[in-house]
Amino acid sequence: MPMKASLSWLREYVDIDAGAQILADALTMVGLEVETMVDRYAYLVDVVVGRIVDVTSHPEGPGLSVCKVDTGKEMRSIVCGATNVRKGHFVPVALPGAHLPTDQKIAVGRIRGEVSEGMLCSEAELALGTEGGGVLLLPETARPGDTLATVLGLSDPVIECGITPNRSDCLSIIGIAREVAAIFKKPLTYPDVRLPEGKEPIDTVASVTVDAPDHCPRYVARVLSDVRIGPSPFWMQDRLRSVGLRPINNVVDVTNFVMMEVGQPLHAFDFDHLAENRIVVRTAGTGQVFTTLDGAQRELPADALMICDGKRPVALAGIMGGLDSEIEEGTKRVLIESAYFNPITIRRTAKRLGLSTESSHRFERGVDPAGTVRAADRAAQLMVELAGGSLAAGVIDAHPKPTPKQVIDLSVRRTNRLLGTSLGQAQIASHLRSVELSVEVLDEDRLTVTPPGFRVDLRRPEDLMEEVARLNGYDQIPTTLPVSQVVAFKEEKGLEVRDRLREILVGCGFSETISYSFIGRNHCDMLLLADDDVRRRMLPILNPLTEDQDMMRTSLLPGLLTTMLKNSTQRNENLRVFEIGKVFYESGRGPLPDEVEMVSGLWTGARRERAWHSKEYEVDFYDIKGVVETLCAGLGVSPVRFSAAEEREIPHLRPGRAADVFVGKSRLGSVGQVAPQVLENYDLKRSAYCFDVNFDILVGLMKTEKMARPIPRFPSTTRDLALILEDAVETQSILDFFGRQDQPLIEKVEVFDVYTGAPVPTGKKSVALRLTYQSFERSLTDSEVNEIQASLTDKTLKQFDAQLPVK
Amino acid sequence: MRPPVLRVGALRNSMKEILEQAEQEALQALASAKDQPAVEGLRTRFLGRKGLVTQCLRQIPSVPPEQRPAMGRLANEVKQRLDQAFQAVLSHLEAHRRPAGALDVTLAGRSFARGRLHPITQTTKRVCEIFLRLGFQTVEGPNVELDYYNFEALNIPKDHPARDMQDTFYVSDDVVLRTHTSPMQIRVMEKQPPPVRIIAPGKVYRCDSDVTHTPMFHQLEGLMVGDNISFGDLKGILTVFVHQMFDPETSLRFRPSFFPFTEPSAEVDIRCVMCRGRGCRVCSNTGWLEVLGAGMVHPAVFEMVHYDTDRYTGFAFGMGIERIAMLKYGIDDIRKFYENDIRFLEQF
Repeated sequence: MPMKASLSWLREYVDIDAGAQILADALTMVGLEVETMVDRYAYLVDVVVGRIVDVTSHPEGPGLSVCKVDTGKEMRSIVCGATNVRKGHFVPVALPGAHLPTDQKIAVGRIRGEVSEGMLCSEAELALGTEGGGVLLLPETARPGDTLATVLGLSDPVIECGITPNRSDCLSIIGIAREVAAIFKKPLTYPDVRLPEGKEPIDTVASVTVDAPDHCPRYVARVLSDVRIGPSPFWMQDRLRSVGLRPINNVVDVTNFVMMEVGQPLHAFDFDHLAENRIVVRTAGTGQVFTTLDGAQRELPADALMICDGKRPVALAGIMGGLDSEIEEGTKRVLIESAYFNPITIRRTAKRLGLSTESSHRFERGVDPAGTVRAADRAAQLMVELAGGSLAAGVIDAHPKPTPKQVIDLSVRRTNRLLGTSLGQAQIASHLRSVELSVEVLDEDRLTVTPPGFRVDLRRPEDLMEEVARLNGYDQIPTTLPVSQVVAFKEEKGLEVRDRLREILVGCGFSETISYSFIGRNHCDMLLLADDDVRRRMLPILNPLTEDQDMMRTSLLPGLLTTMLKNSTQRNENLRVFEIGKVFYESGRGPLPDEVEMVSGLWTGARRERAWHSKEYEVDFYDIKGVVETLCAGLGVSPVRFSAAEEREIPHLRPGRAADVFVGKSRLGSVGQVAPQVLENYDLKRSAYCFDVNFDILVGLMKTEKMARPIPRFPSTTRDLALILEDAVETQSILDFFGRQDQPLIEKVEVFDVYTGAPVPTGKKSVALRLTYQSFERSLTDSEVNEIQASLTDKTLKQFDAQLPVK
Repeated sequence: MRPPVLRVGALRNSMKEILEQAEQEALQALASAKDQPAVEGLRTRFLGRKGLVTQCLRQIPSVPPEQRPAMGRLANEVKQRLDQAFQAVLSHLEAHRRPAGALDVTLAGRSFARGRLHPITQTTKRVCEIFLRLGFQTVEGPNVELDYYNFEALNIPKDHPARDMQDTFYVSDDVVLRTHTSPMQIRVMEKQPPPVRIIAPGKVYRCDSDVTHTPMFHQLEGLMVGDNISFGDLKGILTVFVHQMFDPETSLRFRPSFFPFTEPSAEVDIRCVMCRGRGCRVCSNTGWLEVLGAGMVHPAVFEMVHYDTDRYTGFAFGMGIERIAMLKYGIDDIRKFYENDIRFLEQF
């Protein structure tokens, strides 16, 4: 809730000669950030001076006249209902396009057949006074066409400050004026409060009992009799409007005015509606319902603080009054409440009820317990002035829990140490005194500082140091670089791995995406996860923004599939995307979930788009597998093994095109083609391949150290071997078989061709292998290599029940 | 192409005109000749045995004697000039002859697919690198956080109005999605004694969603604690950061603000990088952009982690990565970061 203050209102308390912009900048630089600044009379931009040149009566409208008005640039014909229009008068003319505070929008129109090109305005219509009976007459020195604001000297900038939660003292005009006074080194003038008290002592009229002193440390009341309820005078209404409040009646207006002026929220009760003429402050108790003055019935939390009369609750303390004790037209006697409520009490109830008012906003942040009497007095003074009546003598001041005075020791040396300044003791003391802190010099280093009651934010020396810093100007603090010990640290391994991983994937043509960490619970079903899948252990958010963001994600795949959908609706059909991010599992152990970092990727569309040199190739299983191999190789994670997944083991992948990725015994993740049913669940048409790898495991397996190996000085030699064997035999098992042969001269074995179809018999395949032989000691002879090759061939044929191809 | 026939009757009157016209015509045709055969054809047409210029030369004897020397000179000059012109074009063509089997080098090369890092990643890296050079260590922590670390230990008790500054997602009464990266201050200080010099980038969450807010976004927290660390030092470190991140001419403005876990607290504005302070839509005509929150670590926070408040002082700061990225890349809608439209991602 920003705080508004008009320059003219501020000037009641401090003599400002600076311009509005300078003032706004200065306030921003002491911590009251001026968010906007608008002239109150900006609405008068389309209201100009007009001279009436001719008045004729309206032929069709009795009582109406048609005026010819010179508005400087042109002559306008304006129909007017006022009786005080005469030839030669200077009057305000609202031109078409004007938008008046009475919510009238002026346009060219016809009134009973006569053209009317504007409106002649009364004081009330322009919100410049209460007189609404006739058109406002302007001095004859005015020139037609001049804007009304210029002629009447109307200009009053209203600044709107964002007030941080610690500065409740600035939720008032005087609070802001105090800052202005400190900045410009001017005195602050408080309003003169003089009370015309009557004879009747208040104690004989009313009483206050505080049953909940913790919630209500202080309750001050005054009583007025024989008031006359009516509208406030214009100056009062004008002040309230300038800060965005709506005038209601003289008594209520005074309570609002004083709240704005000094920051103390007040409440005015119709005293005749208070049973037994007394006030009891207590908590609501269970199951209470109360109707606030906005007409809403509210169920009260048991610890809500209530203002009650002798019988029942009459106000929701510090938040809103009750409907039954509201000030009405016939109200004769008024009880003014000026209390200090416990900020936490008010905040809890306001939060619980979802009800925030100007009053609760201030109480929650803390008002000045010492200012309650003064505020009640100020209100009483104004009420007598505005609504007449007589004031009971004295004030009821129930003060069951006085607030201890804060006394803070401040060291000049430590202040300068924290700020990096070299301010003198006198300078520091003077800054603090400029905002009404009382300062005593203890010795050459120490000051004893007592903040005033309205500065609830000042409790520690550091709070005072901030006061000194901001009043002296943050821009006055020298900009330095820290002189500090060198600390050698090692970057966390994960950070480095993540960076390398990103580079590898970008090199593979994958672009990085970031999706929200929360998803809808339906994604588990969409991924076809089994009932006991760990990814169903989702962490729910109690207050999600939307239903489809109500769970912490347990997989990155929903984000990638959703990204694919969003892109395909934009016709971005070819997509290579990845995400590195955390997933969250309900741990069941402590209050916090397990956070596991994953890296997942999705590839759909073309492996290579059609170009002049190439057809378009659709991505397939071995493309995505190649990505996983590349990223493992790039990170030095080995040996990586892929093994065919069981039918329902990886539910989101298509059976037969799904593999588990292992490094040793650790399962790194999965890779494969997205199952057709999953695609359908995400409304996707084109086939897609994805990998899903546990980043934390990857980090653990990564080898950061590298050792050089010697490069052989002797040439290698190769032999090919083609095998016809059962289609179901996995090539990995053949490679493993060679690995087990303990044949040191075999450097590597690679599959360089796989073929099915004629002349290979149905159900079989041909696998072509290339064996590389290498010795570090000598050049190998053909005969020794042939011998090994022949023996291996025999063993292989037997092992796999394979044949050699028919030549 | 048949050579034009020279009509003698016409010649008598204007051999000069014919020669001049022939020269002009030849040069024009030469200018658009693309290859050697075309040039040779032109040479034959104009200078060949039956060529126009040759014919003129042959006709010289029939020109009246008083004009003969001049006409002869002119005809020879034209012949010479054309000869030179043809030769020049031929040698130019020779020099620029396309070798046999030449490729169309303008055809697109076989491209390699190139992925991009997310602009948030790129921005985070740039920010981290600057602080790394200043000796700050990068640390990371949980996204789902205890209320204690997110609020209580940062001097934001329950029922404190400062909680209104952040709309919190709750997982339970005591567990929240962290609303800022500041809990890392506590987690680090709990584990290690001063000196501390860390940055903590990461995801944070607040229930808010519009053109300038997404429910998840990224922050980077900084913390430096040691002997005699001052507010002036905070100004110095952040000035270095802004100058390296934006440009060394960018001016900064520190103004008082409020965070429960720092005292004194500051908001840091930089001169609008779009309009250089003249006022524009991006800076709401103020000429300034709010980019950082900062302050001296509140003694209540030090007490929470049992640091000696008499001895140590420190500063902390925090910034929104999206905010920085939007300014650096000229992005006007924060939601674009999370739509993952490949046409957006590929721009960075």
